[in-house]
Amino acid sequence: MSTLENTEFLEPATLAEALRLMADESTRATPLAGGTDLMVQWEAGVRPPPARVLNLKGLAELADLKMDGKTLVIGAGVTHAALRRSTLVRKHAPALADAAATVGGAQIQALGTIGGSIGNASPAGDMAPSLLVANAQAEVASVRGARKIPLPNFIVGYRKLDLAPDELIVRFHLEAMPDGACEGWRKLGPRAAQAISKVMGSYRGKMENGHVGAFAVALGSVAPTAIRLHGIEQWITGKKLDANTLNEAEKRAAEEVKPIADIRSTAEYRKWVSGRLVRGFLEHLASAG
Amino acid sequence: MKTVIRTWVVNGKKRTLEFPPMRRLLDVIRETMGLKGTKEGCGEGECGACSILLNREPVTSCLIAAGQVPDGAEIVTIEGLELTPEGQELQRMYVAKGAAQCGFCIPGMLVASYAHVTGDHPDNSDAALREAHAGNICRCTGYAKIIEAVSAAADHLSHDDEDDDS
Repeated sequence: MSTLENTEFLEPATLAEALRLMADESTRATPLAGGTDLMVQWEAGVRPPPARVLNLKGLAELADLKMDGKTLVIGAGVTHAALRRSTLVRKHAPALADAAATVGGAQIQALGTIGGSIGNASPAGDMAPSLLVANAQAEVASVRGARKIPLPNFIVGYRKLDLAPDELIVRFHLEAMPDGACEGWRKLGPRAAQAISKVMGSYRGKMENGHVGAFAVALGSVAPTAIRLHGIEQWITGKKLDANTLNEAEKRAAEEVKPIADIRSTAEYRKWVSGRLVRGFLEHLASAG
Repeated sequence: MKTVIRTWVVNGKKRTLEFPPMRRLLDVIRETMGLKGTKEGCGEGECGACSILLNREPVTSCLIAAGQVPDGAEIVTIEGLELTPEGQELQRMYVAKGAAQCGFCIPGMLVASYAHVTGDHPDNSDAALREAHAGNICRCTGYAKIIEAVSAAADHLSHDDEDDDS
């Protein structure tokens, strides 16, 4: 039986009420949405049971999924299942829909949320690369007001966010994929489903007159946070994607990442895979663009 | 220990229950409601044995604090599947194809199968069927007979639809 039965359960009916509870130290609580990370850690004793939990599941203000001009707005409470099903996400940020479809299995996708995945700030979180290539901003809120932070400044380190104790993640703002551009997502893990990534990543790019017009690429599990590979992005822009360029791009991408060895993979293997992933993205861009 | 009271529709029947809100939905199903068909495998959301349908979506009930499930929610457990034509057909095909060996994963597996065949526009290719069951782990069967069973059931169910249309 659960160790959580003495944990106080707070059920705000609105975001405003949730923010008021977070503002007061006597009612501040651990936010809980899909539970796919937190419930496991509490039940296994990896994390001590919290004094209070703030239930965010079902809050209407966190359920946005809409276009605002050329910006795709995604509420923090949107589940992976909803992301993969959404025609808006498929059209304007397809690498995010593809990433959502590879998280866990159907049961985990129906529970886990994009806010929870980013809030967990794991370098192996599958949502971050697709958000990074879409120049996403995280919007956080407290009773003091709301602020928008570019994702690289929001996820500041290994499991560390620029998030004050009274703030909640509310939604994400993504630049919609421009006309004529394309995206891709690849995840390498020990098996296809229910697996934590060894290396994964996304790209967004566009060909112009047979040359790379724009290329953004982000990888996860190769650094304390998911990262954009600015070196390779700049180097490849304007180039024709011939065999020599692809070889050189693969080499440069492998050199640009500085992964660690851990229980899931070695540093050498991660570097090699990073090069191969970036090469695969460029080949995809060349054939699709 | 503070408790909450919730009224859900469980396997088609309204049920009002009282429990500590952070108790796992799995425990409320098995212990509070006494529905022992739903199994606990890993307790970490990896194996899918505790799968149930919550508002028609398959979820691992070990990862949900029961208090998070609001009034009016629809829950279908393995006990509720055989009340439906799709559940009955899946049950028949699991038996016909010898899809169950030790059986421990089967309640969760059937819930995943049911979610797939009752979903919007189900794709019944082998790859899609395997993906629909990717969140369920079986240590006996090697999955082949399970996928065969779902494929056969999906086939029969789609032909039934055509009969209805004609």
